[in-house]
Amino acid sequence: MQTKSVGVVSWLVAVLIFGVASSSGFAAQAPRKGQPIVIGAPLSTQYLYGWDAQRGMLLAAEEINAKGGVDVAGVRRPLKLEVLDTRDLEPGVPLSEALLVVEKLILEKKADVLMGGPVRSEAAMAAMDLIAKYRKVSMLTTGALTPAYHRRIAENYSKYKYLFRITSEAGQLAKEAIDLFESIRQANGFDRIFIMVQDVAHARAIAGLVGKGLEQKGWAVLGSEVYPTGALDYSTGLLKARDQKAQILFVWMDHPETAILVKQWFDLKIPVLPVAGISSAVEQPGAWASTGGAVAYWLACPANAGNAPSNATPLTMKFYKAYTDRWLVEPEGYGASTSYTGVYVLTDAIKRAGSLDAERVVAALEKTDMVGVYGRVRFDPKSHQIIPSYDPKEGAVSTWFQWQDRKRVVVFPTAIATGKIQVPPWLAPSK
Amino acid sequence: MLRSIFIYGLINSIILALTAVGFSLTYGISRVANFAYGALYVLAGFAAWVLLHRLALNYYLALFLAVVFVALVGAALYRFALIRVRGMPISEIIVTFALGTALVELLRFFGLFGSAYGLPPLRRATLQLLGVPVDFQRVALVVIGAVLILALWLFTHYTKIGLAFRAIAQDEQAAMMVGIDPDHMATLSLALGSALAAVAAVVVLPLGYIAAESGSNILVFAIAVCILGGLESPAGVIVASLLIGYAQILSVAYFGPHYQMIVALLAILVTLVFRPSGLFGKQKELEERV
Repeated sequence: MQTKSVGVVSWLVAVLIFGVASSSGFAAQAPRKGQPIVIGAPLSTQYLYGWDAQRGMLLAAEEINAKGGVDVAGVRRPLKLEVLDTRDLEPGVPLSEALLVVEKLILEKKADVLMGGPVRSEAAMAAMDLIAKYRKVSMLTTGALTPAYHRRIAENYSKYKYLFRITSEAGQLAKEAIDLFESIRQANGFDRIFIMVQDVAHARAIAGLVGKGLEQKGWAVLGSEVYPTGALDYSTGLLKARDQKAQILFVWMDHPETAILVKQWFDLKIPVLPVAGISSAVEQPGAWASTGGAVAYWLACPANAGNAPSNATPLTMKFYKAYTDRWLVEPEGYGASTSYTGVYVLTDAIKRAGSLDAERVVAALEKTDMVGVYGRVRFDPKSHQIIPSYDPKEGAVSTWFQWQDRKRVVVFPTAIATGKIQVPPWLAPSK
Repeated sequence: MLRSIFIYGLINSIILALTAVGFSLTYGISRVANFAYGALYVLAGFAAWVLLHRLALNYYLALFLAVVFVALVGAALYRFALIRVRGMPISEIIVTFALGTALVELLRFFGLFGSAYGLPPLRRATLQLLGVPVDFQRVALVVIGAVLILALWLFTHYTKIGLAFRAIAQDEQAAMMVGIDPDHMATLSLALGSALAAVAAVVVLPLGYIAAESGSNILVFAIAVCILGGLESPAGVIVASLLIGYAQILSVAYFGPHYQMIVALLAILVTLVFRPSGLFGKQKELEERV
């Protein structure tokens, strides 16, 4: 009897040990599934720079979830994207709308982190205090080009340390525009420029920076005109540029009426090389079709690489194809590749932090050093602005493309260029 | 410079007249300030695009059907919504504004965003007028605008419906006494006003592309022109279009392009302060006299 009892107990102990061992072994292979990580995305979803960011983020979240989610201290947590429309790119909508959306994402949607916008610089700046108050890690991935954003973080680090920007900014883009024009001068001998921008803060700032920078380098800046949002005619400015014998037309406008300017330039055969910076009407893959080819020879800058085809990093075309397959359209504007990369960068930081605690995630983000769609991703430790470079091995590269024969061909910076700038046949090169 | 100001000022004026004439006509006859006007303008462009690119209809047939479709939408707007609030101006404005907003949001829901929606011009060519290069579409736009305004004048002066329109506009009760049904006329005026918005859309939108947010800009310009000219005055619309059109081009040429929007808004402000009925309007004047 005693022997029998000992045998039963031995069996029970053995089963228990086996059970514990096997369950811990299973846990080592596949961590437990946890609650979703909620990414709150305040975006102006009816505009290019809102919906392209949403698509980029969703694509990344789907990829990560398909691989089992994010490993947070041994718990696999899927990503859940909560997108709310800030409407901050819509004319006449007060900034308070965007702030309400940010607060709703934090309080009602219980966002663990914020990503995307607000998109308009003014709204993003206004939201900084709100985000800091709730101590939410936030990553700007689209819009908000103002250098004041990262300057403010650097000036008051302890308050704003939760905020990061993974996309380019106006100061950097102005520098790149000047370098691009210098390369055009070297190749074609052009040194006469006419500037036309939209009456919004970042565009006026860029016009000032580029105009001043070019004058210092000996360029003739023949005019700098500011057009109101919704302007329907650009003939006077175009004819002024022609009469003053400008060779380059620099345009920075994000309203849809830029398409009128594109068509007028083409129809009137204004002898200038048109260079648009961030300009939704020129950036989008549908621009060739919607303008009937009038967008030929136009250059544009959808900010970072990946939003036009290039081989900046091994991930660039992988993202480009994945986005095209998922959304049946090529990456459209400057929020796509940055928002996609942003999700990977943030989840990588959460994984390294092993927690969603804001202080630990911020510390992990500051140590980020990884290759993304548009180059090496690192943040300035004080301003939390992504570090830019012309070399994708050193930092985040931008992309300037030209419409050539229905395609967006990257022409600048040289390290990622896939073609050379072509001059319209009705504009004779100076050399 | 002067020649280009003359030519592009005229083009700008005709665009303004085209976009405002439908708003003015509807108000003149039915006293309905149709704040869905901008949305109907966008709807016309999108409808033309669908007929042209999705159903592959003939270019002119697609434009014609888009105009007819929007006219029917305008008529339905009166028959199913406005008729219930007729005679209550604030309610009419709220209803048309709300329906216009809903319409634009609906278009966005069906995919109207981005730059993929463009209408081709009648012909891609450039003409030299007084030595100033002008694209064919803008020249055609001036001709179409002039013909349309002339046709409207003939219609309202020499056809039975046109005369009934004027009768209602002058004295609704007297018109009812001779057997003119004001609701029927109001339905027709909404349909015609919407059709005119659609004509403006299919002629003006090929200059750029179809964007949902264009509707609000068009509405602002239409209201500016109508307030300056006199809300119910077709002649006022033409004169006001010329004044604002040329003022905008002159401000672009001599002061800076960003003043062109201020010119339109300033026109509204100055008119409301000094002559609330507008240059050719009689309504406020009559009210004050009574």
